[in-house]
Amino acid sequence: MFGLKKKKTEEYRSPFPKCVRLDSKPHSFCGGCGHPEVLKAFGFAVDELELQPRVVFGVDIGCSLLSWNFFNLNSVETHHGRTVPVMAGLRRANPRAIAVAYVGDGGAYAIGAGHLLNSAIRNDNILTIVVNNGLYAMTGGQESPTTHPGWKVTTAPYGADEYYIRAPEIIRNVNPTAFVARGITSRQPELRTLMREALQHVVDGKGFAFLEVLSQCPLNWKTMGDPKETFRRLEQEHAKVFPTGRY
Amino acid sequence: MAEKKFLLGNEVVGQAARAAGARAMYGYPITPASEIMHYWARETGSEAGQKDGLVFQQAEDEIGASFMLLGGVLAGTRAFTATAGPGHVLMQDAFSMAEAMRLPVVAYVMQRGGPSTSTVIYSQQEVTLACFGGNGNGFRVVYSPSSLQELFDYGIKSFNTAWKWRFPTFMLGDGYSAKMMGEVEVYSPAERGIEMVPTEPYLLGERQLTDLSKVMPSPEIEVRSSNGVEYVCLRNCLNLEEETLAVNTEIKTAWDQMAVEATEHELYGQDHAQTVIVAHGLVAAAARSAIDLSGDTHGGTSLFRPITLNPFPVQALRRAVEQAERIVVAESAYNQLGRLVKDALYGHSSVPIVEFFRPSFSILPDDLNDLLVGHQVS
Amino acid sequence: MSGTYNIIVSGEGGQGVLSIAEIIAYAAWLQGRKAVCVPYFSTEKRGGVSTAFAQIGDQPLSFPKFRHANLWVALSQRAVDRISPYLCEDTTVIVNSHLVKDLSSIKSYSPHAIDATALATEQLKKPRTFNMIILGAMLKFVPDITEEGFVAALDKQFVAQYERDPELRELNRQALDLGYSLLSS
Repeated sequence: MFGLKKKKTEEYRSPFPKCVRLDSKPHSFCGGCGHPEVLKAFGFAVDELELQPRVVFGVDIGCSLLSWNFFNLNSVETHHGRTVPVMAGLRRANPRAIAVAYVGDGGAYAIGAGHLLNSAIRNDNILTIVVNNGLYAMTGGQESPTTHPGWKVTTAPYGADEYYIRAPEIIRNVNPTAFVARGITSRQPELRTLMREALQHVVDGKGFAFLEVLSQCPLNWKTMGDPKETFRRLEQEHAKVFPTGRY
Repeated sequence: MAEKKFLLGNEVVGQAARAAGARAMYGYPITPASEIMHYWARETGSEAGQKDGLVFQQAEDEIGASFMLLGGVLAGTRAFTATAGPGHVLMQDAFSMAEAMRLPVVAYVMQRGGPSTSTVIYSQQEVTLACFGGNGNGFRVVYSPSSLQELFDYGIKSFNTAWKWRFPTFMLGDGYSAKMMGEVEVYSPAERGIEMVPTEPYLLGERQLTDLSKVMPSPEIEVRSSNGVEYVCLRNCLNLEEETLAVNTEIKTAWDQMAVEATEHELYGQDHAQTVIVAHGLVAAAARSAIDLSGDTHGGTSLFRPITLNPFPVQALRRAVEQAERIVVAESAYNQLGRLVKDALYGHSSVPIVEFFRPSFSILPDDLNDLLVGHQVS
Repeated sequence: MSGTYNIIVSGEGGQGVLSIAEIIAYAAWLQGRKAVCVPYFSTEKRGGVSTAFAQIGDQPLSFPKFRHANLWVALSQRAVDRISPYLCEDTTVIVNSHLVKDLSSIKSYSPHAIDATALATEQLKKPRTFNMIILGAMLKFVPDITEEGFVAALDKQFVAQYERDPELRELNRQALDLGYSLLSS
């Protein structure tokens, strides 16, 4: 259109990380989902550190499983809440592996909380990325340990209670040397930096690396088709309850 | 190197894993299996263990241990765990994943009382759990050794069966065999002409030795090359009925092939005996003694002992009971072995079955002998 | 159960019940017999009654437990009741009379009552060797086992302890001899 000559695919400066698997695109995430942003930042960090052949990318059951074949990375989908121990066990057996657990807030802080906490206590040499959208998205928007007080969700239709978990603080509490940070999908350059540093921590053999990323879920937030409201919720509400930064 | 030793059952199991060249154990404390873990922890820290690069990790619970085990196996390590009772129950989450993806995990299960916490002593009540636990169709190999020596022999064999055929493989001991001390001949597999089946990584392998779809259901695998490197993506979540039918069918096909070679049983006592006792594990050992005691009484007795509870030696059992006048199923459980027997014989035999069920309770040679010579044992 | 010599030992946790059964089984095995032993255990590692079984024979042994004991040893009062089901008319009974004071329920079995604790305290000045004295007394009844075989088993069992405390070896030997000489077969 407009008389522009159509380029060959390889001639475009790729908007994707090199380690992305092109034939699994377009991806299966909802339009406006935060996962592709997180995955993009992660992928670019893998590219930058040239880790593609060494990474094992573990995904949970939940929306994260939609990225099981997102990358040209050795990947495995585990059971719900069990991605951290699979990665921990694999890393113990293969010390060359850069084991990454890519999970949601439900898998990390509810069913997987015991594994996550103890992995941090052991200082397992793995990276855990938690995509926190404040609810169980894939299964229909149920309450999770990070649902905001007052949010109306399918298992708290009159408003979620006042309690929730701020994980980075807890991880820092049990592990003084881990890499601990919280990023947000709406600030991509910062997210890439955090991803790179988190991966470097593991590459250097320093032990546990933990990165929570605040993310949006337009489907379950009922803000589909209203990106302004989605990002208001993400950057004003969500980031207020869960402050970004290094911990 | 082969040596006769006086050892604790759990030590025998640990030494079997070591002799088999196992490299990693992931575990959690539970009576009566914990000594296997203690043995491995000591071995890992020893000079020899460090040289061999042994790995030991005690996890936060059995769920963690069993999923760590999956990770170790995915890395291509000969890896195992040991558990019992409630721990065995918890591990079913991971074992289901192993079953779906045909991952060659090895678990030593030292059966204890049940259900729930019960005693830490003994039972044969984890047969159904080992054979059919999880939400699959029961495609896991289950060995039931009947002596300390067999704990060693099958402790080694479990790894070969697992890695050759790519099925989760369990060895069922019990609290008595775990905690008893007696004579065992320990040896290295090479001395007996046993070759250990090599392991290979599912993920991060330098090169894929086996086409993965030969050892894992194909809908679960997606392999792509990028810059000359192969990247393997594995899943167990499926979207279509056709996919899950394919997965289950492929598992079954591979299972049937394995069953032809791996199924094992033992026959003891006279041919064409009137009474055939069917028993496994230590109860089978008691039955052997009872048969020796009772001799030719009442037309004679023989023992049919399934060594693989799964795949169950169906054809062999049908042949063994052809001329019997009664079958005695003896187990320290309610109908867990009985169910397998009845399933095998349905439509093929009308020989009456006498049920000698003692749930979580020992069955002594004297108990069986009393039954054989006609006294009722309550 | 014909063909095996069945031994049951019971006492309070910490009295060395398991060790006694292990040593006997091990000694028998060292001398070329077939032997197994097994503890009867519960979740209480401390503070409960401890019981152990040992079987010695010439054929391979199957189930480590049995119905009737040939040799029956109780080291505490609670243990008496716990293992009374294993008595039969020709069972040899030994008790440590220091703690087992009420013999009424086992009178018909002609129990050998040895105050092993008192003997250990007075003659050996080490009360903790009481179970070695009991072991020595038991030795009198276990067929085809020599005292030398026993000592060899003790040496192997207590290698680490003997290294730490070389006097212990002599002490154990004395306790064993003492027990052995106490009873007539």
